[in-house]
Amino acid sequence: METAIEVAAPVATAAPTVLEASGLVREYGTVVAVDGIDLSLGEGEFLTIFGPNGAGKTSLLRVLAGGVRPSEGVVRVRGKELDFGEVDWRRHIGVLSHQGFLYGHLTVEENLRFFGSLFELRDLKTLIPERLEQVGLTDRRHFLVRQLSHGMKQRLSLARALLHDPDLVLLDEPYTGLDPSAASVLRNVLSTLRDGRRTVLMVTHNLSEGLKLATRVAIQVRGKFAFEAQRSDVSPDTFEHLYHEVVEGWK
Amino acid sequence: MRGYLGQIRAIVWKDLLLEFRTRERIAAMAAFAVLAAVLFNYAIDKSLVSPQNIAAGLIWMTIVFGGLLGIGRTFNLEAQDGAMQGVLMSPAPKDAVFLGKTIANFVLLYVVAILVVGVFMLFFGLDLGTSPLALAGALALGALGFVALGTLFSAVSSGTHMGETLLPILVFPLLVPMVIYGTTATGRLLGGRPVAEVAGNLRMLGAFALVAIFAGAGLFRFVVED
Repeated sequence: METAIEVAAPVATAAPTVLEASGLVREYGTVVAVDGIDLSLGEGEFLTIFGPNGAGKTSLLRVLAGGVRPSEGVVRVRGKELDFGEVDWRRHIGVLSHQGFLYGHLTVEENLRFFGSLFELRDLKTLIPERLEQVGLTDRRHFLVRQLSHGMKQRLSLARALLHDPDLVLLDEPYTGLDPSAASVLRNVLSTLRDGRRTVLMVTHNLSEGLKLATRVAIQVRGKFAFEAQRSDVSPDTFEHLYHEVVEGWK
Repeated sequence: MRGYLGQIRAIVWKDLLLEFRTRERIAAMAAFAVLAAVLFNYAIDKSLVSPQNIAAGLIWMTIVFGGLLGIGRTFNLEAQDGAMQGVLMSPAPKDAVFLGKTIANFVLLYVVAILVVGVFMLFFGLDLGTSPLALAGALALGALGFVALGTLFSAVSSGTHMGETLLPILVFPLLVPMVIYGTTATGRLLGGRPVAEVAGNLRMLGAFALVAIFAGAGLFRFVVED
């Protein structure tokens, strides 16, 4: 257990690398949110990153999603370095944030059509019903987004994130504010992402939900990965204890 | 190119649909325009000043102040639920986002500009002169330059604490050429002067609009990228 509070070496992956980050740093003024993270994610992997509030998980996700520039370090998607002047790499990434990225005054279908147009997707007439079916919102397609419950908005956000069939899906606290029933629906949808083809990185506080789908886990504290392991090497029964030990050890 | 135009069209469609549903900005701009015209009507002693001589200046000032009310809120609905982040994380180039929002703002402002002219005609007893098309062109060119700058600086001010207070401070100094050439062209056209007499002013308004659009499209990414 003592090794748990040491910085773990990045876990090697055998599958083709989809996402790679090296020496990643993100600073906000004097605050270092992401502090020298190295990361490599292979095709089909599902990495869940846990960590306390203020650990820099969302900042890491935003950097990996190309939402903000790293202060230092490099991010590569399928071997290609993220260049903010280019846009094509964004077609490979789907992002579900704790913010929905949705327009409340547009309907469910209009939101998807709008984002589909930005991704230059063709055949939206068949693609949108497919995604709505996938997240169980077919009967709500003409509802304004502001009329939806939080759980429904989360599912719609997921449909938006998956609309362009990305290789790499980044999920930021998808279970926040969901009741057990809505969480179960979301879990079922997220489990379809484990199709071996897609690479998923999820950031969450929810230890049990985070472990259920992961193939790899990491614990981020103060901007660094304080622990990293294959999911198969972690016991769900002792993970909470391990988590607290790692977090307290680093604090 | 087709995809690029499709992305611009999607942003225009979305912005206009949101405005149609909420009427947040057009209502504020239109109400301001009408109320300003009513106040000007009572504030000016028409026995001392000919309305014809000052109407062009008042029309453009009303368009600028009223327009800024709406354009300053360009990114308000985008901020809700982080929608703008979703747009910026899409493969749509930032200049396409800027152009889409500028076109949508132009449509709204042009509607308001026509309303302003109509209201001033009513209260000041103006007529459209002999070249209403040239007048419409002058309003369009002036409005285009204005919304291009307004959209860019609205993005700047939306990321600050001072927000809408900062916007006029940033934009007004840059609008001086537009106000000079727009007012001159409008005044002469309302006075029934020939189009040839305002051709130079129209060209300058066009040049101003082009510079504002290109500068806005080029600089927008530096404003919205973190």
